[in-house]
Amino acid sequence: MLIGSIESFMQAGINSSDVLVSILFLVLYAVLVSILMSVYAYLFGWIERKVIAKAQYRHGPNVVGKYGLLQNLADLVKLIAKEVRYPSNADSRAMALSMIGLVSIVVFVILLLPLTPGLAATNFGLGLLLVFVVLGFSPLLLFITGFASGNKFGELGAQRSVLMVIGYDIPLIIVVGTIALAAGGFSITGVIGAQQSLPFALLMPIGFIVFFIVMLAEMERPPFDLREADSELIAGWLTDVSGPYYALALMLDYTRMFMGSLLISILFLSGWAGPLLPPLVWLLIKAFIVSLFIIIIRATVVRLRIDKVLRLGWIYLLPLSIANLLVTFIILKG
Amino acid sequence: MLTRINIGPIHPSTHGVLRLVVDLDGDTIANVEPHIGFLHRGVEKLVETRMYMQSPPYMEKLDYIAPMSVDELYVSTVEKALGIEVKERAQYQRMILLELQRIASHLFFIGALTNDMGMMFTGFMWGFRDRELILRLLEEATGQRMFYVNMRLGGMVNDFHGDFEQHVLKTMDYMEKRIPEYEKFLEKNPIFKQRTKGVGVLKRDDAIALGVSGPVLRASGVPYDVRRDNPYYFYKELNFREMSLNGGDSFSRYRLRVMEMRESMRIIRESFRKMPEGDSTGQMVKLRMPPVKNKVVTVAREVPRGEELMYMVAGDQKPYRLSIRSPVFINLHALNHIAKGHRLADLYPILGSLDVVMADVDR
Amino acid sequence: MKVEREDLGRNLSDMKRSGYTYLVKITAVDYSDHLEAIYILRNMDERKDVSVEVKLAPTDLWLDTVISQFPAADWYERELQEMFGILIKGRKADRLLLEKWDGREYPLRRSFEWGKDYERM
Repeated sequence: MLIGSIESFMQAGINSSDVLVSILFLVLYAVLVSILMSVYAYLFGWIERKVIAKAQYRHGPNVVGKYGLLQNLADLVKLIAKEVRYPSNADSRAMALSMIGLVSIVVFVILLLPLTPGLAATNFGLGLLLVFVVLGFSPLLLFITGFASGNKFGELGAQRSVLMVIGYDIPLIIVVGTIALAAGGFSITGVIGAQQSLPFALLMPIGFIVFFIVMLAEMERPPFDLREADSELIAGWLTDVSGPYYALALMLDYTRMFMGSLLISILFLSGWAGPLLPPLVWLLIKAFIVSLFIIIIRATVVRLRIDKVLRLGWIYLLPLSIANLLVTFIILKG
Repeated sequence: MLTRINIGPIHPSTHGVLRLVVDLDGDTIANVEPHIGFLHRGVEKLVETRMYMQSPPYMEKLDYIAPMSVDELYVSTVEKALGIEVKERAQYQRMILLELQRIASHLFFIGALTNDMGMMFTGFMWGFRDRELILRLLEEATGQRMFYVNMRLGGMVNDFHGDFEQHVLKTMDYMEKRIPEYEKFLEKNPIFKQRTKGVGVLKRDDAIALGVSGPVLRASGVPYDVRRDNPYYFYKELNFREMSLNGGDSFSRYRLRVMEMRESMRIIRESFRKMPEGDSTGQMVKLRMPPVKNKVVTVAREVPRGEELMYMVAGDQKPYRLSIRSPVFINLHALNHIAKGHRLADLYPILGSLDVVMADVDR
Repeated sequence: MKVEREDLGRNLSDMKRSGYTYLVKITAVDYSDHLEAIYILRNMDERKDVSVEVKLAPTDLWLDTVISQFPAADWYERELQEMFGILIKGRKADRLLLEKWDGREYPLRRSFEWGKDYERM
């Protein structure tokens, strides 16, 4: 009920005829979404530590706060309190701006997603396309951070990030195109509406798998964490990112996971559709399960090599995504 | 154009203070030059200034993953120089402890290898968890968890206590269930196979020419094992399999160590069966020894990392010269040959599969 | 087996041809009045070790490199150069492998005193 009233209040504000009021409500919405995102990211920082600790017969954080819940806060405070240092040959402005840009991209993408049926801040016909266009900038900013740090490890991480895009971007776009085909448009609410009878995960299982793998790479989760590759490149593109910016990078890890989980839930698991519980809760539950699955993957796999990522992208994912497109087309038209 | 990058000496995957200067052609390794010596303590010189039985603690610090194996080698060298016989029961006990040490070391290896390949510490923690059980057994037998110094001339510091056999056999039963889990965990993982199979191939002839030893040599198809081919203690009376794999790649080196753990367990069980009753305590630590003059002895042992050999010129009361052939020193030398032409990301699993311990490299 | 320094390369090549293909270790001992370099070789088929000893006068320390016959000798030779001051001919100038000495003092020689403060590089 509460969620419902907030929802309609917000929607009314955003749709207000006064441009100023509308902008004000949009900013308010962005702040609310950012808070939701931060809470989720913080929570998952803790859940990940606990789940991975379980997989490794450890206890995980258990000293700071109840069940170690405040451990991440302590880490955050530590990192924010630290001095920001740049190598002498780094372009500090480029590094700082691209780190902020990376987080902004994530926030922007989440803003584009309809979290509840009544409230879609920016629900317009080409939402789906815009999401992936914006997302396409993130490897670029990643590259800039690594390259501007003037560190060879950062540079290697940056190169890997660009190479990976070559590997996975085309299958991604083909799968997104298939979704648009099945939904009959690029509107995200339309995509959820089209899944009322059958979630796309069941309609196009191959596409779901391809999309999931690509999202893992997009989110920089293992086994696709080659650009960070802590045991190889020290921290890859993050090697010379320090202090608050590194805190931002850690946040980015989980906010991107939130974004990816939301995207997967919305595009393939019928988004907020579900009985009894309010739509927002349903969406968060689905995203939660997807995130949990991603974490368990992290605990069990070793890292792929860059040429194997390209191989995976071109030899497996690309044909699979095309096959998915054809099969879906036949199912829909046949 | 080659990019030169510097890895280490402080880096998560260099197994200690190793510095690698890597010339990269794009992402392909053109040349790796290991810079060693950060942990050089001059043990060979140090030993010359100490009386014979003052040195075992120093020896243990050489290979800190499997300390007892080097300690035992040193004590055996002194025993051979002074002409001291080891009690039969003590010989069996040394074999048991050394094989336990080998299992512990190989578990460490598996953990470190998965970590080098970017697994988020899971393999590492698993390996360490089971290694801890072995260390607990060693602590039970010697009183120390890591650095034992439990060898005396002619025997051990103390005999095994009454329940020790039961405890070891119980742990072995547990380990026998655990090892298939490791195999399932790693060998059924397509990414693990992709990253190790056919990566870092060392051919048989190259392995011999480069002088590598231990699991690295056996994984390249040369079944040379000091325990069998230059036997010491009662290894010749036990039946354990000749082990070698023909792959020569990182996967074979991993696989061979898993096989060795199984063999070690068999050796431990058999040793317990054959161990005679009696006493195994050695001589009291005496600093003064019967005089020997420039007697040259060479003793080789199969330590977990390969063939460790000590060349000792025995002097009066002190070693006149002690020269240590460290297996990892020469295995590391082969790194450039193995890693050349691979991707940068493969350098770490290759280094990991050589299982270097920098203290032993630098001596 | 004792060989003359001048014959070392030829002898080792002969040994290699007769099956001693594996170089176990190169080491040296300083006997004060002379030095001795020891090459331990192994026949991998017969599992037999043999050591080849070369006597060196302390005033005239050099050996020929055997790196072409035994690639494994590389680091051992560098170690000899560094620890005993035995010049290995036929190698290009090497970076110091283990120590950071300036090359005037050789730690494993008997004349090197344990505990004395030597100037570091």
